[in-house]
Amino acid sequence: MIADLSADEEKILNDVKIRLAKYGKERGQLIPILQMIQDKLAYLPHITMEMVAQHLDIPPSEVFGVATFYNQFRFNPPGRNPVKVCLGTACHVRGGDIILENFERKLEIKEGETTSDKEFSIERVACVGCCALAPVTLIGETVHGNMAPSKVEGLVMRVQIEKEMKEREKQKNESGQ
Amino acid sequence: MNPVNNTSSDQIFSAIQEEAAKRRKANEEAPGCKIHIGMATCGIASGALETKAAFEDALSQRGIEARIHTVGCIGHCYAEPYVIIDHPESGFPPIFYPDVTAGKAKMLTKLFLEEGDPRLEHILGATEENEMIPSVMEFPRFNLEKRVVMEKCGRIDPEDIYEYIAEGGYTALVNCLRRTPAEIIEEIQNSGLRGRGGAGFSTGRKWELARQTQQKDKFVICNADEGDPGAYMDRTLLESNPHQIIEGMIICAYATGARQALVYVRAEYPLAVKIVHTAIEQAKSLGLLGKGILGTAFDLEIEIFEGSGAFVCGEETALIRSIEGYRGMPRHRPPYPVEKGLWEKPTIINNVKTLASVPPIIENGAAWYREIGTENSPGTAIFSVVGNVTHPGLVEIPMGVSLRTLIFDICGGIPNKKAFKAVQIGGPSGGCLPEKFLDTPIDFDSLTAAGAMMGSGGMVVMDEDNCLVDVSRYFLDFTQKESCGKCTFCRIGSYHLLDTLERLTKGEGRETDLDQLQQLSEDIKNGSLCGLGKTAPNPVLTSLRYFKEDYIAHAEEKRCPGLTCRALIAFYIDLDKCARGCDACVGVCPTEAIFTTSNRKKGVDQSLCVKCGECVVACPPEYDAVEKVSPPGLAPIIERPPEPLAKKIVS
Amino acid sequence: MLTLTVDGKEIQAKKGTTLLKACLDNDIYIPNLCYIDGIEETAASCRLCFVEIEGEEKPVTSCTVPVKASLKVKTDTPAVRRLQKTALRLLLSVHHVDCKNCPANKKCALQDMAKFLKVGLKPGHLQHCLKEPEIDTSHPCLDYYTNRCVLCGKCIQVCLTHNGQPEITFARRGFNTVVSFFGTAKNEKDSCDECIRCVDICPVGALVLKSSP
Repeated sequence: MIADLSADEEKILNDVKIRLAKYGKERGQLIPILQMIQDKLAYLPHITMEMVAQHLDIPPSEVFGVATFYNQFRFNPPGRNPVKVCLGTACHVRGGDIILENFERKLEIKEGETTSDKEFSIERVACVGCCALAPVTLIGETVHGNMAPSKVEGLVMRVQIEKEMKEREKQKNESGQ
Repeated sequence: MNPVNNTSSDQIFSAIQEEAAKRRKANEEAPGCKIHIGMATCGIASGALETKAAFEDALSQRGIEARIHTVGCIGHCYAEPYVIIDHPESGFPPIFYPDVTAGKAKMLTKLFLEEGDPRLEHILGATEENEMIPSVMEFPRFNLEKRVVMEKCGRIDPEDIYEYIAEGGYTALVNCLRRTPAEIIEEIQNSGLRGRGGAGFSTGRKWELARQTQQKDKFVICNADEGDPGAYMDRTLLESNPHQIIEGMIICAYATGARQALVYVRAEYPLAVKIVHTAIEQAKSLGLLGKGILGTAFDLEIEIFEGSGAFVCGEETALIRSIEGYRGMPRHRPPYPVEKGLWEKPTIINNVKTLASVPPIIENGAAWYREIGTENSPGTAIFSVVGNVTHPGLVEIPMGVSLRTLIFDICGGIPNKKAFKAVQIGGPSGGCLPEKFLDTPIDFDSLTAAGAMMGSGGMVVMDEDNCLVDVSRYFLDFTQKESCGKCTFCRIGSYHLLDTLERLTKGEGRETDLDQLQQLSEDIKNGSLCGLGKTAPNPVLTSLRYFKEDYIAHAEEKRCPGLTCRALIAFYIDLDKCARGCDACVGVCPTEAIFTTSNRKKGVDQSLCVKCGECVVACPPEYDAVEKVSPPGLAPIIERPPEPLAKKIVS
Repeated sequence: MLTLTVDGKEIQAKKGTTLLKACLDNDIYIPNLCYIDGIEETAASCRLCFVEIEGEEKPVTSCTVPVKASLKVKTDTPAVRRLQKTALRLLLSVHHVDCKNCPANKKCALQDMAKFLKVGLKPGHLQHCLKEPEIDTSHPCLDYYTNRCVLCGKCIQVCLTHNGQPEITFARRGFNTVVSFFGTAKNEKDSCDECIRCVDICPVGALVLKSSP
């Protein structure tokens, strides 16, 4: 739970500090500030909550209490390809939980976890609002409608292949130069 | 506040109206055809961006002049992504095309826009009456609706304020600025408008209470914290016609004496946030918001607050706490927010649909509104109808229409020749109604009397293959996760309701379970602090009342009549129907549970099967060999041949 | 002073007080956990202090009702007792009943209520469920016993009243709600050592002083 930030994150953190200074110091700013930080870092490292507490002059426990109350905030970094399985009512009626289970099985992680290579994470979301396409899954920002358990493997593979292709291209470019 | 001398505000506004009319005329008279594409979240999710790009590509490739007009959502989700093509030169009226993929977009550009053939096999209908092709208005999905709140949705570009004004927008506000606040509230009271957030409190009375308080600073909050996992009408309204809501908020603030307003919208709705933001900026730039609105002495600022995702924040006292920067936990009412709300100031909190109903009421008068709907529930209701219906989507109907009309006539009934089983109305706070309630008129009081509630307007239609115990478990899983944890009954009680329901769906039910569900549900209903807890047991209470046989089957026979609860079902392959040598099911099975028998047919290894049902879909319809049974013991056991044999067959 | 009738007995109460306080001041016991004498805004979260008031359909929490002259109140009706017993059972279903090893033994609010309502310290047919971890030891001088806590919030309230800003807080949500010490690093040691109002007010022994330094 100790701040253990990557070099990239350290860089972003400096940017966050500059932005933070522009926010007012009243309590009503707490949630907008947390949203800003999560927007930049994709999660709320503990050190940021201490920073916010200092900025607003409230105990860190208050920040923690508020942050842990809301679904939006997360405390560990998501994967590069966050898989969000919709479990809204329409998706449930059409077997959304089976889709979730298939992702869990394929990626060998549970909902709320991130794969060890940081490539994927799985989340459940309550209704992304495309009920007519149920069941629905988002990978990154892309919506995949009319999901079926047999499509799960293909989708995961597609992400992996795309990544490999990109890497190969990068290598090719590098060796070409 | 007294009405100010408003001749100047009329003048200012007519100048804006003239500009709007001018722009509209220029668009209408522009050469070439017009392509209207629905670009709300649902449209984009279905691929509207690709469709738009395909049109753009094809148009420039072929050198065709056309205007692509992005509009909001019209609520016909089954047709997404849809386009309406207005091609006057072809001689055809504007035509509605459903399911326009990128490929179809390219095809239509070539064949219709270039060559004049509208490809009638792809159309849904014309959007205007004409002699040539049937109009969409001949379909019940269109003609049984009555659009008041959603009237302009899908017709205008939500990011262009002039389009709203050209359609008559903001005239209600100008009208209001000529009247006293008391007159406006009287009009709203006479209209009989009731809050669309679920409970149905009189909007006029709420406003009157707020107007009468002596405190100086007051707030208006538009509650767009839509949390029901199956309802999305608030988002659609914000994304398709934000100005109607903003106009309603300005009128509300004027009538109640508020000078500050807030839109509380979920952060999970990024497009809605962006569109409302643009709308506020545009309204400001035209002097419809900010200091001295339309030259009067009336000031109003509207800000956006992004809710961080907690269902309980739809409850008004919790919503206020979260804006103040605290954990969104409800408190006891009274005092009501109208007396003591945000920052302890009087606060009027209205739902999106309530506020969006205000401009049409002012424009057309209370008497007009009273004509729509029923005596005690005037006006319209918006439902998001999902689940097992042919034409899902958003439907706006006059109050008093029967459930049967809504589900069977407007939404096309149950697909795949299945029988209707139940309809769940009102989301996690609502209830499940069986067939005998299909003729119940839809209004606040009739639904409550039947045990459901208007609630969020979420409606899930279930057919014979759905399990009511599972649906109750689903909703309890949701409310249990969303309970704020403050009060004992909701925090721990909902946990035990869920625990019991989970046991039932796993076939681990106990003798005492049904009684315990009933008693605990009643206690949670009577003992909880806020509306979330008080209504959380509703899905259980109604399904226990109307579908007790489902519960008994689970508890006593360990059988799921809807063949839904996976622990209580099994799949097997009927060897008489299975085709020798066909591998369709093997290919789709995610767990390699399907094996080849010694005579090259297929069997299911029950210990590996996760009951996802993919093999049922994969099995070619001419064989239809996969069977689903409950309890699982009914499945015949087919031995897996020893490994070497299996290998030999494969080789 | 106002006169109201509780269980057929006339009692006097000052205008502005709540019905719960009026009853307690007149030696009429109503089970409660989250009420703090002297703090105006009530949490109304424990849902135990139900009473029936003539003219009202259902039992109401007495901590949220301001006294009014000629109120007719009953504290012992079947509906009231049913809700109170359910609430107590719910609390016990997530409570680690181990009274022998608990510092609150014999002065515990749960024990008192069970005795008053004539029920055992058992959750009935409800499944017993305990949370992990059993103890939060992250505070320099306090220990928090997750499965003793009834989440009445009194500790947070007194800390807020006394220190202006609460050093302890509710964290997480719903069934997983806990009292948390997040960020109360070593520097709190001195001030907390001196205060310990939270330990004193805890009705169930969930917050205790660290036994050894």
